[in-house]
Order: sequence, then structure tokens, then C-alpha cells
Amino acid sequence: MSGRPSVFLYTNRPAPDCLREICAGIEEEGVPFQVMEREEADLDTLAWEAASESMLGSGIGIRGREAAMQMRSVPKGHNVFEVRPDSDKEEASVRHAYDAGTDRAEKDRLPGRWRILGANSARAVKKLPFKE
Amino acid sequence: MKLIAGVDIGNSTTEVCVGGVLPDGSIRFLASASVRTTGTKGTPENVGGIRAALETACERLGRPLSDISLARLNEAAPVIGDTAMETITETIITESSMIGHNPSTPAGAGQAAGTLIFLEDLDKGMPGTPYIVAVSKAHSYEETAGILNAYQETLSIRGVILQADEAVLVENRLRFSVPIVDEVRHIDRIPSGKLAAIEVALPGQSVRMLSNPYGIATLLKLDAGETRAVTPIAKSLVGKRSAVVIKTPHGNIRENVLPAGVIHIEGEHTVSVPVDEGAEKIMGALAEAGKVRDVFGEENTNVGNMFRRIKTGMADLAQEASGSVRITDLLAVDTLAPVEISGALAGETCMEKAVGIAAMVKTEQLPMERIARKMRREMGIYTTVAGVEAVMASLGALTTPGTQLPIAILDMGGGSTDAAVITEDGRVRTTHQAGAGELVTLLIQTELGLESRITAEQIKRYPLAKVESLFHMRLENGSMQFFPEAIDPRYYGHVVLLTPNELLRIEEDLPMERISQVRREAKRKVFVCNALRALAAVAPEGNLKKIPNVVLVGGSAEDFEIPEMLTEELSSYRIVCGRGNIRSSEGPRNAVATGLVLSYLGGN
Repeated sequence: MSGRPSVFLYTNRPAPDCLREICAGIEEEGVPFQVMEREEADLDTLAWEAASESMLGSGIGIRGREAAMQMRSVPKGHNVFEVRPDSDKEEASVRHAYDAGTDRAEKDRLPGRWRILGANSARAVKKLPFKE
Repeated sequence: MKLIAGVDIGNSTTEVCVGGVLPDGSIRFLASASVRTTGTKGTPENVGGIRAALETACERLGRPLSDISLARLNEAAPVIGDTAMETITETIITESSMIGHNPSTPAGAGQAAGTLIFLEDLDKGMPGTPYIVAVSKAHSYEETAGILNAYQETLSIRGVILQADEAVLVENRLRFSVPIVDEVRHIDRIPSGKLAAIEVALPGQSVRMLSNPYGIATLLKLDAGETRAVTPIAKSLVGKRSAVVIKTPHGNIRENVLPAGVIHIEGEHTVSVPVDEGAEKIMGALAEAGKVRDVFGEENTNVGNMFRRIKTGMADLAQEASGSVRITDLLAVDTLAPVEISGALAGETCMEKAVGIAAMVKTEQLPMERIARKMRREMGIYTTVAGVEAVMASLGALTTPGTQLPIAILDMGGGSTDAAVITEDGRVRTTHQAGAGELVTLLIQTELGLESRITAEQIKRYPLAKVESLFHMRLENGSMQFFPEAIDPRYYGHVVLLTPNELLRIEEDLPMERISQVRREAKRKVFVCNALRALAAVAPEGNLKKIPNVVLVGGSAEDFEIPEMLTEELSSYRIVCGRGNIRSSEGPRNAVATGLVLSYLGGN
């Protein structure tokens, strides 16, 4: 395991768009990160182990299109943030609202929520208030 | 046992105290209550609050409201609705436009000037012309970087303005280095084809060129006149990490500038003073005028409008002609107020020197009688108006352990600061002065540029802390407090207020040190100034050293730091000063209501 201080991303067959947006969120905040593919494990475990093993104490677990952000010493299962796409239908309706031109809806769209989750893992390191 | 109630109507709260008269004629205090004042102090609408307070007190006693055989009201008249406050500034007009903000992650560093062009229009760009490219969020960071890299061969791209929060992402994919400003929400308002200057500060620094009028002049090639016009923009960009200034010559912005104006004080002498000379000069003029009969503001100026509004508003409430409403005291305080700059693309403001003014208003009539009549009619309680507020407050204050005559009280409320001195032989001197807790709230709100008055009120009342992790926060005095479990991430990294029940998050992005500094300064400016002024007005021969002890009462005496500030300040006059503890149990509240019950004995 690399000892470089960085946000850890423990993944299990992540969806490419999900991983890309989360990485973009961290990169924009200017914090180093490392992506590591892990054995089969549930989302809570991926996130918790990533946070526990990151020297910066901040980690993200990704499974498919689900993602969770954790910070060291927060109990397993109490993810600080998580994004779980409930259904494609919800995603479609939110996208519809976005097309109608509201700002809020853009943040609620799945890629936007992934991006913010990534940014927040970096902001946890920088001790800055989280984005909402 | 006969029940007697004292009722004190203040600007912010209505306080009651219920006492029982024992067979030997002495009084036993039984219950007290405090509620928000309903309506403006001194108007019949107050009766609603009085009823609520008396009912609360009676409930605590387990007796019905009808058992109260006498209610005694404070004679606060002829002062009604004591103060009005406003910060007085002038409007600023400029011909240029600008963006000045602190995106959390701009990219690149340095400054440049160029013609504004949108990403879509780069194919129409002229080789050799320096460009600053504006990019809407419709373009992803990869696409933006790809297009910019392609055009870098033929066009001279000097800077980039992004709508999305993607400056670092774009920069990491560019093959060349330019300053990039992001999170510009109203990118559509950027006028393409105009000359603009862009700057991103080095890490840990703030912009240098664009916060300097000559820096802007250098980048945008301005003459002396244009440089003068751009000065407010430079000032508003001080401390920003990134900025854009756009030259829009011959802009059609021509607004009517409303001057701050001149205050005319009519007293033993008539004195005039321009508001923009500052608080010290205004307070000097006020002292020079002696006992004030009335105050006017110059017509069609900010201060003139303010005074006229106060007088007509008060006349409506008192149902009097506005000619009979007079302003008898002023407190002016220097402050800083955010002034909107016409030409700012995102409503940026610039902190300008301003003066906060509180005015004490008097009317001719005695409105307390109307309240007493209404109480008799609606509640069936025999009610009398019984004595001057400051005297009642002194009587109440004397129930504080460790006090004796002669005593001075300083009643610091929401609207006014009142003082009284009672000597051993029972002689009383009193004064009412404009400016108290609400002026402090106003100063906090304007200096921190807060949208909500409620936030300012809470900042005034509660100490601050910064949440440094999910498990602990650092308090403003430097100590640390740990949470038993991880707290809600919504608080992470935020400045919070420690209220008795919960943490309140401050939404504005302000450092804790700045908030506490503004808060303490506002309290000092209002209360220290007013305490010295009020005590000098009632002190024998105007000499503060002839006052042996001062008891602080009223709502603002409950504040967590104002009493300490005054204790410290007054100790240099060798005055014993501290927060009152009415009846050894009520703290600084309820002094007037207690005094009203006590004075029933003297009256019989």
C-alpha cells in the first residue's frame, strides 16, 4: 500500500461515469487521490476501510453506481455522505427538471451528486465546509 | 393575601412581577414572568403581551388572573417607541463592470488583459489580438480544454472565465498556463468584444493588480479621469483571490446620488453638522447644543429622509400631528456598510464608511393612561400609572445584595439606555438616551453584510466556535470542546453559535475572528459610549467619580460580555460596577416591575 498522503477510493466494479465524476470532484479541489480495486465487499466496508487506511483520514467506497464517503473514526455504516441512485425513473425526472432550467436540479442530478461527493472527500481533508 | 402586580413595558420585552401584601403590611414576592412586547412600546397593543405575562405569572402561583387586585404600570411616557436606526451612506457610481469573488479553487496565477470572447466564437478570433475566453457550463472541462488547446496555436489566449467550478480541472488539461477564474454564475452578462483584465492571486495571497487603481489603469490603459472612476472597484477587490474588471466606456449608468446630508440640532444652542464628518463630530455637536429640543435633517438627503420617516411613523402610532413629535437625543456610531456598486456583475459590494444613528423620539401625550384604561376595561384589573421608569428601576436594583444608597443604575434595554442616580436623601436625577441593544444588532448586520437581522441578533447574544472535525470544535476563547459522537456533517468546517439548546450554523463565509471582532466593537461603541454619556448626565456636578456604585439592569445587562466591558471601563473612575441581581434571584431583569410593586408600600 502506497504511503503517499491521499484520499483513498476503494472500488468494486465501479461504473465508469461515477468514478470519473468523483475523481473530477477531488481533482478540482486540488487534493491527491488513489483508486484501488478491491475484493467483493459491501459499500459501507469499502468506504470505511478507505477512510481508515488513508493517511488523510478520508475515503470513498464505490460499488457500481453507488458511492459513500467516510472519515476516519466515524463508525462503519454511518457514512458521512452517500449517493445511491434509487431508480432510473428518479434520475429521469430530475433530469427533466434540469432541462426546465433550474439550478437546484443540476446539483441533484446523479453526475452532479457524484462530483459533490468527491469534492467533499477533499474538503474533509482541507477542513472546509462541505458542499450541499 | 392581596396580590399586586408591577408591569414594565420595554421595547423588546414586557416584564411583570407579582407580590403579595402580608398582614403586617410588608411585601412578599411570589412570581415573575417575561414575554415579548406586543406592538410598539406605549401603545394599547401592549395589552396583549401584558395579559400573557400576567397569566404566566399567575399560573406559576396557581391563582387565577382575577385575584390580582392592583396592577401598576411604569410611566415610560412621554417616550414611545424609543429609537430608530439607520446607516447613512452615499451611492457609488462607476462606468466599468467587474467580477470580484473568492471561488474556492481558481487556477493558474498572474494577471492579463484581453478582449472578451465566448468559447463558441473562437473561430471568428483574429490572430494577434489578446483574448480572454468566457465559457458557459454547457461545455465540459474536457471539451473546454480541448478547444482551448486547439486554438492556442493560432490565437493569443491570455485568460479564461468559467461558469462551472472547474478551473483546476481545465488547467490540468491545458498545454499552456493562464489565469482561470471560475464559478462566475452570470456568465451570460459578460459583454463580449469589450476589453477586460483578469487576475488570479498566488497561493496564500490576494489580488495585487486589480485591487490597485493604477494596476487597473496599467492593464486597461486608462487615463487619469477613468482611473479615478475605477477606484471604488479597486477598493471592493481588496482581499479577493480572483477578479475580472471589464472596461465598458461611456456606460449609460447615471444615477441620482443621494448625499448623506447635514443634521441640524436645536437645543440651548443651534448646531449643524454634516453626517460624513463622522460620529465623533456629531456627538461633539450634540454636546455643544446642550439640552436638545429637536433634531432635523437636511431635506432630500439620506439623513433628512431618515428623520422624517421616524417622525411620521411615530406620529401615526401616537395618532398625533407629526409636528408634535420631537427627537430629543441621538447616538451616532462610526461603522462600515456594504454599498452596492452599479456595474458589478454579481451584486458585489464595497465597504464604505458609514454612520449608524439611533434617535430618541418624544411625543406630547401620555399614552400609558390609554393602556391603563384598556387593562381596566378588558381584563377587569384596577390599573394605575405609578412612577417614573428610572426611579422604579433604581428601587428594584436596590434589592441586589451588596448595594446601598446613593446608587446609580444603568438600564440597558433594546432601544434606549437610561440612567438614574438616587441619593441618601431621596433626590433622583434621570436621563434617557438613544442607542442600546438594537443598535448593536444593526451594526453587526451592516458591518458583516448579513442578510438576516435574526442572524445578527444571534451573533450578538451567543459566543462563537469553529467546528474543526466531526468530533470537536474550537471555541472563540481558544479552548476545545469534544462531542460524544460524530456530529451532523452539515456543521463541518463551519463557524457556529453556541446557543443553550443547539449549535446554530452561520451561513455566511466569514472567519470567526472577524465576527467576534465586529461583535465586540459594536458593543463597545454603543454601550461604553452611552454609559459614560448617561452617567455623566446624572452624576453630581457631572463628575463620574462622585458615583460610588453602578448597578447594571435591563435586557442588555444579561449579555455575556457587555457587563464585563463596562466594569473594566468604569473601574478607571473607581466606580463599583456590575450586573444587578434583582431580589437575589432574577439577575438583571425585572428591576422596574419589582420597583413598581415595592413602591406600592411607599405610596400607602
